[in-house]
Amino acid sequence: MGTIRYILRDTWRLLSRHFGLSLLTILTSVAVFFLVGASILFVLNTRYLVEAVEGDLTVQAYVRDTDGALEAVAKKASSYDSVSSVRVVTSDEALERLKARLGKLAEAVTLLDENPLPPSVEVQVRRASYATVIARELIAMPEVEEVVYAGAVAERLQKISYFVSRLSMVVLVVSLASAALVLFNTIRIGVYARKEEIGRMLLVGASRNFVVFPYVLQGVILGTVGAALSVVLLWFSYGMAISTLERSLPFLRLLTDRMIVLRVGGVLLSAGVSVGWICSWLAASRFVRQASRSR
Amino acid sequence: MEIRFAGVTKQFPPDIVALQDIFLTIEKGEFVYLVGPTGSGKTTLLRLVTRELVPSKGRVTVGDVNIRKIASHNLAYLRRNIGVVFQDFRLLPHLTVYENIAFVQEVIGVPCQDVQKRTNDVLDRLGLWRRRSLLPEQLSGGEQQRVAIGRAIANSPSILLADEPTGNLDIDTADEIMQLLLSINASGTTLIVATHNQYVVDAYRQRVIELRKGRLIRDEKKGRYRVDGDY
Repeated sequence: MGTIRYILRDTWRLLSRHFGLSLLTILTSVAVFFLVGASILFVLNTRYLVEAVEGDLTVQAYVRDTDGALEAVAKKASSYDSVSSVRVVTSDEALERLKARLGKLAEAVTLLDENPLPPSVEVQVRRASYATVIARELIAMPEVEEVVYAGAVAERLQKISYFVSRLSMVVLVVSLASAALVLFNTIRIGVYARKEEIGRMLLVGASRNFVVFPYVLQGVILGTVGAALSVVLLWFSYGMAISTLERSLPFLRLLTDRMIVLRVGGVLLSAGVSVGWICSWLAASRFVRQASRSR
Repeated sequence: MEIRFAGVTKQFPPDIVALQDIFLTIEKGEFVYLVGPTGSGKTTLLRLVTRELVPSKGRVTVGDVNIRKIASHNLAYLRRNIGVVFQDFRLLPHLTVYENIAFVQEVIGVPCQDVQKRTNDVLDRLGLWRRRSLLPEQLSGGEQQRVAIGRAIANSPSILLADEPTGNLDIDTADEIMQLLLSINASGTTLIVATHNQYVVDAYRQRVIELRKGRLIRDEKKGRYRVDGDY
């Protein structure tokens, strides 16, 4: 009990003795964890957007007008796991669609003697990256005359998704490294400021863990407070950003449920605790190990 | 706890010999003065007992423990049996008198109520009860020395090492401190006092070990401070 009381008192002393430094560390942590959180939310939204666009992406296979060809192509397309839905479009249905699209000009279609539109199979893929593969498979079938799909869009989406993921990973690593460095230095300054005192503690029989623990607790508190404040900041700024984007770019599909911020917040808090723990442990234990070494 | 030095040499790089070939046994409960001029090796000898230093040659044993062989994570347990009083007190400046004495108990996990009881007992014994809420800088030299002794004895160590405990004090205060050390020794604690204070060594006659240039040159029961008068 006495030990716990001492550790808590000492941790408070560490935090208050270098109050300016503690505050600076918390502010830096807030900025860093906000950046991390914002980049996670950006990645999640980009993925959501890409998935939404991917959901609309179809591969249209035009089929030769022979008996059983439509069914054969539809059956083959349905057999792929990467395909989410298959729809058969007959020549008549295709003509109706064209008429609907032409609107007032639909009368022109009646001038045609016969329906020139071939029947087709509309295939929806689960991911944009599967579109090219499915298109290749379908064109290889003798029943298929032509395959049309937004290949360029599919590839671009893939590239955007890849780029955003990589960029966010870099932002994440750089941000966490900065947070770790700032915390590490804060704890180190605290340790060096109490160099003499640590020597005395070791000499009167304090164990290494006992000496190190207040510093670890200090690091955990600084990291956690920084992360928690960044979650609060993220909560309000995400709400504002979403409502602004919904007003100015209503066609954008974004994650509007703010619970996502809380889930990201959980990740940030865990990161705050872990970074605080690891950095302070490294900063303090190395010094204490050296100080306790006999010459 | 018995302390034994067997052929101990301590050399600092590049070639400073602080102690040379020391053979010495200090029995449990003994009171020993370490005397000798500055640089004779008194502090080095004390630091070998707490294993702040390890011998370059030979063996130092405290109780049954060869201090060289003790694992560094077990060092804390050895040191909990050894109280140390420094010449410059080395009190923790931001802690009150009470907290300084309680601190050494807290670091070893003594329960709260026991810390309170023991600290109050020590404060009473040292006559520091009224000063318990003051910071070290608000105390006189003698009071600070008493706090340092209080801190050293708070965990009832088997061994008490005191490096110049009366170094900065006037005769009256030195007397007080010596009375205190004698009473601690009377309760069975082994005491080693490194001192330059001729008055206390001659007034409170105990075993005297004299070092010069790292060598043990005199070991005398109920000895005096000096025999040849050349330092």
